[in-house]
Amino acid sequence: MYLLSKIRETALSLRAGRVTLTYPVDPRPVPERFRGRPVFHPEKCVGCAGCANNCPAREILIADPCQEMRVVMYLGRRCSYCGRCADLCPEKAITMSHEYENASPKITDIRQNLEIWMGTCQRCGRCFKDAGPLDQLMMKGYRFDDLSAELWVYRSRAYLDRESVVKDIDIELE
Amino acid sequence: MGSHDILNKIREGYGTSITRADIPADNRLLVFVRPDSVKSLANYLFRDLDARYCVGIGIDDRPYSGDFLVVHDFAFDKGNVLFSLIVPVPASNPRIPCISDAIPGANWSEREMRDLVGITAEGCPNPKRLVLPDGWPENLHPLRKDVSWNHVPEDFDDTKTYPFDDPPPGTTVVPFGPFHPTLDEPSHFRLYVEGEFVRGCEYRGFMVHRGIEKLADSVMTYNEIPMLAERICGICGCVHSVTYAQAIEQAAAIQPTPRAEFIRTIMLEIERLHSHALWVGLASHILGFDTLFMQSFRIREPIMWLAEKITGNRKTYALCLIGGVRWDITPDLGTEIRQVLDQLEKEWKGIFDAVKGDRNIMARSKGIGVADKTLVKDFSLLGPVARAAGVNIDVRRDHPYAAYDKVEFSVITQGGGDVWSRIVVRVLEVFESIKIIRQCLEKMPEGPIQAEPTAELPAGRIGTSSVEAPRGEAHHFAITGEGNRPRRWRVRAPTYQNLQGIPAMIKDQRLADMTISLGSIDPCFSCTDRMEIVDLQTGKVRIWNQEEVLRSTLKVKRRRS
Amino acid sequence: MKGLLTAFFSSLINLILVLLVAPLFDGLTRKVTAVVQSRKGPPVTQSYMDLMKLLIKEDIEVGESPVMQRFSALLSFAAILSVALLIPMGTSAPLSGYADSILLIYLLTLAGISILLAGLAAGSTYSLVGMSREMMGMMTLEPLMAIAIILSATHVGSLRLDAVFGGAVYGGSHFFWSSILILGVVTFALQAFVGRMPFDVTEAETEIMEGPLVEYSGPKLALFKFTRMAKMFLYTALFLALFVPRIATGYYVVDLIVFLAEQAVLVLLVTVIAATHARYRIDQVVRYYVILFILALLALLLAVVE
Repeated sequence: MYLLSKIRETALSLRAGRVTLTYPVDPRPVPERFRGRPVFHPEKCVGCAGCANNCPAREILIADPCQEMRVVMYLGRRCSYCGRCADLCPEKAITMSHEYENASPKITDIRQNLEIWMGTCQRCGRCFKDAGPLDQLMMKGYRFDDLSAELWVYRSRAYLDRESVVKDIDIELE
Repeated sequence: MGSHDILNKIREGYGTSITRADIPADNRLLVFVRPDSVKSLANYLFRDLDARYCVGIGIDDRPYSGDFLVVHDFAFDKGNVLFSLIVPVPASNPRIPCISDAIPGANWSEREMRDLVGITAEGCPNPKRLVLPDGWPENLHPLRKDVSWNHVPEDFDDTKTYPFDDPPPGTTVVPFGPFHPTLDEPSHFRLYVEGEFVRGCEYRGFMVHRGIEKLADSVMTYNEIPMLAERICGICGCVHSVTYAQAIEQAAAIQPTPRAEFIRTIMLEIERLHSHALWVGLASHILGFDTLFMQSFRIREPIMWLAEKITGNRKTYALCLIGGVRWDITPDLGTEIRQVLDQLEKEWKGIFDAVKGDRNIMARSKGIGVADKTLVKDFSLLGPVARAAGVNIDVRRDHPYAAYDKVEFSVITQGGGDVWSRIVVRVLEVFESIKIIRQCLEKMPEGPIQAEPTAELPAGRIGTSSVEAPRGEAHHFAITGEGNRPRRWRVRAPTYQNLQGIPAMIKDQRLADMTISLGSIDPCFSCTDRMEIVDLQTGKVRIWNQEEVLRSTLKVKRRRS
Repeated sequence: MKGLLTAFFSSLINLILVLLVAPLFDGLTRKVTAVVQSRKGPPVTQSYMDLMKLLIKEDIEVGESPVMQRFSALLSFAAILSVALLIPMGTSAPLSGYADSILLIYLLTLAGISILLAGLAAGSTYSLVGMSREMMGMMTLEPLMAIAIILSATHVGSLRLDAVFGGAVYGGSHFFWSSILILGVVTFALQAFVGRMPFDVTEAETEIMEGPLVEYSGPKLALFKFTRMAKMFLYTALFLALFVPRIATGYYVVDLIVFLAEQAVLVLLVTVIAATHARYRIDQVVRYYVILFILALLALLLAVVE
């Protein structure tokens, strides 16, 4: 019946009360598993670049300025907050925080820059990692170059070019 | 009718045309034929064997086999078989007989094949561009392997316009979109209106084509693609990531863990709950009934909070990996799910009771946007649109995947084929989803949530998968490849098929009913920035390009008040 | 001279009432709608702020004929304010000695025509569609109020404003069937007169992008929005003036407060109905109006006969 359904609909609405939340005046807490901004902890990072290799948005870049130093840069512009980097990190150096109010006019506010000192092998002097060269071949996505000198130079999937690889913004490389 | 039976049936009539046949699983069949027999074989499958047309795919296989491949996917709903008709097309002459004169639903697939891969379907009834923008140069086909994913063509012609058909005599053109309050995403419907009645329409869409398939086969890797797939749609993201994972798992013969399958089922049904609640609100808003819109969204909000508790995000669950899922459902979460479902069921019953007798809504939705059984068959309309017309198809029951073969539920059908029937179907499906989630929570086995592949996936294997999205069947086709990524990945969202049925649904209806008819298929498309000027006095149509739009906004007289 | 002064001050009071109270009623409408929709809603003073904001915005003129657009905005404002001077609010109408009910009917129609002009002047596809719908609605709806006023005039035998209002429709001690009939008709048409759901087929619409008002912004839009708010105020006032006997306590302020309270009740009723209904299509709406129109004509016939 027409009138009855209208009355039912009104009763439904009035029973619910007012559900408007007072955010942003009051803060709004998020659940435990919420995937907010990823936070990188430099003291735990060993520079394996697993996060860079598996970031779907290619927002984590690696540069090796020299033998002993690796720069891991999280740009965060297109970060999809998927949490793969946090899943994969063997040292649990990345945590998905609960921060979601990340809008900022400056692109550098969200960038995280880690400078990792790498240990060197006492015999050959190269930065060491657990997997041997053969295992390296098997791992997803790692490539090598300079076969002629038989130098296995580790190069991650995404690398930071001196000539700006991104055309839209200026990344200060200092 | 299993795969073997179907193969034998085809062999009877077309034995000589089949060059190769593969049965990778009980519910899959791959048949390779020569191009000259495609038309008659497709017709035979569609009309005589009553298969449903899923999608047509163009593949650039030249680096591997030297040919292009055209794949037409069919589904045998009664026999639980997904059938792929594979046709190698020589690279020197990429032409194939068209099938869209017999199967109207194949029209968009063939146009897309031509735009993106360059395979022309001969005799195609509507050979206009579908996907590529109008100014795109002629012989550049983005999905070919020799075109890189970030190639920007220099000879993009900004002034070229789309060759719309002439309006039928006696009608005026009313442009609907790209900007319109009821459309979530831009698309352009060119309505031919006579007085208050719509006599025909032409659709121009694909304005925000993001090149996801190209990214997947050039840049991304297997486990990164689910994050991309879930962003294909703004509401049914979980569906696409699950379908993709299933397609790759079927291709590489990886079996996800039992617990992962149940978790996937639960998340898919949670998605269906929130999608249908959203749609009811949206439909009410289109009809002007804002109160029901607010109430549906209020009732839907706890589901979003629940999804956030389980996966960490309201919509982009980032759920699937090849071989399993990433988030587990702890006992606490299980209790929470049950509480939310109980509350939802109670409130949704209230909505259903209130709406089912409401003559005010019925007056605006009965007899509107009718899609009858013939239209459903011809254009392969899917999901609630088909079920509202009385066609009893549901991928969860017909081609069971994940844990759907272990739970019981009924498929809701109505007879009217109009907007009101679609409203009823979607409202009742919510109750079925609640039933499914409850059964899953009880039957879910303990165990790991991921079966991680330890070896590299074999290349060159073909996998297909269908999943029932809230809007219909989402169908993915994948060929595994080298470099830890697929060679080809084709996504066919359900709205791809449903949109093709819109011109027939809105014909001879009032202009006012256009929006609710469009809204009733629950469209999930995306788009851009085109503006069309139709001069009513002279009947001339001009399309402004970017510069003209900019100049006109500066030219407008400003009055300081 | 005294009559002129009284008329002048009375007019001023009426104008101030309309200008100040109409947005308040609109705010009340929005608040009640929000409560029905389980949300908090805007503050009751929001409509004032909306109008202020629109008035100070930049006026961008796009459309077929900007001169006509400006004219139609001003016309609607002027017409609706003139109507305010002819409707009794608490006391008798300010210009009752200087105008009669024919002028009232004319000005009401003029306010409606200004919307048609607005749609025509803008010239975009959607505004023309909206305008044609408004025209269809107007042709069958506006006569209803006219018939009610003329019916009242028939009973009392005069077209003067103070004679037509104040319960004259009930014709004094004699009981008239036509009065009951016309009361029913106008009650069922009240929702349509003020342009709310389920009859807001021309205004705020998701189907045709606001219809006639699609090319208006800034001050012109403020004027049209105010016209809509004032229509709510004035039609409820008209309804009260025609059908609800006035309580004359002798104190003007008390009369005024009682009058505003009665209006608020009507506004509440209209809002609740608006919040619980979906919008009807133009053909369904016109069918509804036509039925009411036939009933109104019937009532008029009865009034002449009785």
